[in-house]
Amino acid sequence: MNENALKELLYKIADDQLILGHRNSEWTGMGPLLEEDIAFSSMAQDKIGQSYAIYTILHSLGEQDPDTIAFTRNANQFHNSILTELPNGEYDFSLIRHFLYDTAEIIRFEMLTHSSYTPLAELAIKIRAELKYHTLHANTWIKQLGSATEESIERLQKSLDYAMPYALGIFEESPYEAEIIKSGIFAGEKALYETWKQNIEAVIDQTRLHLADWSLLKPVLGGRLGNHSDHLQPLLDEMSEVFRIDPSAEW
Amino acid sequence: MNSLDPRVKRLPSTGIVGQVEPKAPLDQFGTFEVFVQPREGKPFQHEGIVHAPNLEMAFVLAKEAFTRRFTCTSIYVADTRDVYVSPMTEGNENVFQLIPETPSQPGEKESYEIYQLPKRGKQHIHIGAVMASNPTEAMSEAKVKFQSDKVVYNIWAIPTTSIRFTNPEEKELWLTLPEKKFRDASDYKGGDKLKEFLERSTTTLRS
Repeated sequence: MNENALKELLYKIADDQLILGHRNSEWTGMGPLLEEDIAFSSMAQDKIGQSYAIYTILHSLGEQDPDTIAFTRNANQFHNSILTELPNGEYDFSLIRHFLYDTAEIIRFEMLTHSSYTPLAELAIKIRAELKYHTLHANTWIKQLGSATEESIERLQKSLDYAMPYALGIFEESPYEAEIIKSGIFAGEKALYETWKQNIEAVIDQTRLHLADWSLLKPVLGGRLGNHSDHLQPLLDEMSEVFRIDPSAEW
Repeated sequence: MNSLDPRVKRLPSTGIVGQVEPKAPLDQFGTFEVFVQPREGKPFQHEGIVHAPNLEMAFVLAKEAFTRRFTCTSIYVADTRDVYVSPMTEGNENVFQLIPETPSQPGEKESYEIYQLPKRGKQHIHIGAVMASNPTEAMSEAKVKFQSDKVVYNIWAIPTTSIRFTNPEEKELWLTLPEKKFRDASDYKGGDKLKEFLERSTTTLRS
């Protein structure tokens, strides 16, 4: 097994979880209603917990410890998709991103339950139930607001149109894609994308939202290779503020 | 009144002199009652309410609002408007004495879930189900089936079909919860850390 290929895969999954977990946690205390504030914050916490689990696997492969990995890298060393680093803006955008991203996330981990790399397969089996709630939450909101009022439909549609090219960036292929697939670690971004498209369509079809023609969309790529938007570095600065002041701080 | 503060926007309008209007309903979601089963084999108990636009959303929101920290095996929710309540008693008065035994009513019967309040100020606990053609009959059937020497203070009846239960395939939603110690304030050992900090600062001050 090519260890660099495996590490690249682990980094991109963990970085996605950490960055989106942090973004979503920015809603804590400001959610649109108390119950949703709690639910969204809990799921953000789950994502950060999942990133920790994967950074721990990376640590066992000789990388630095999870805190160092999470808090001391610069933006160009992160492999998350650009979708996950975009600022929150309005709640409609956060919900759409949650829906687009978490739909891909649950399929990815479902595929990883069959991974030839045992630690990853075991983790995927373990967190399956968490992800199930995340997609139940996302799908229920999208079905609800996607068929509720003119305003809710219009706002979700606008966010959907805006987020979609970024969402396609989730599936940006790794330089090691062929090796990863051949070694049975992960069945690859193309396979993930095909299932994702079907699942997205299945939910959107139950709403008054519409999807643009897939073939006309231009994916926003680069995140997986460390080419990020201007939004990532400020996020990292804020996330690592305490760590940078006192790396030994415990809380 | 125009203001960027949402609280100001929610202030009632001042109205027009000489005009009488019906009170405007609150611009808020309705409430749903949340029941939690703490362990397999234990009865469901009432934990509180969530606000939600419908039953399904209530289920989704109740999961984190009420089972974020404490382990459980299952939850369910019902619209508050589907919960029928008996009178409330206190002291040694058993509420079943206040429920009349009504003769069996005509019409199609449906299942009602029955809950009792064993202690004032505590939660309602599920005790079983009865078949009845309306809520009054459900209360009467509950009396026949569940009345005992033990004093209970209040009875609830909810039509079974109006409840959003946890599906069998959703039972795994709580599997990883016992590991999420970071959601418990006690896991951060704040007291110990504060003590250490104070000791450290005192030592520094003395030296």
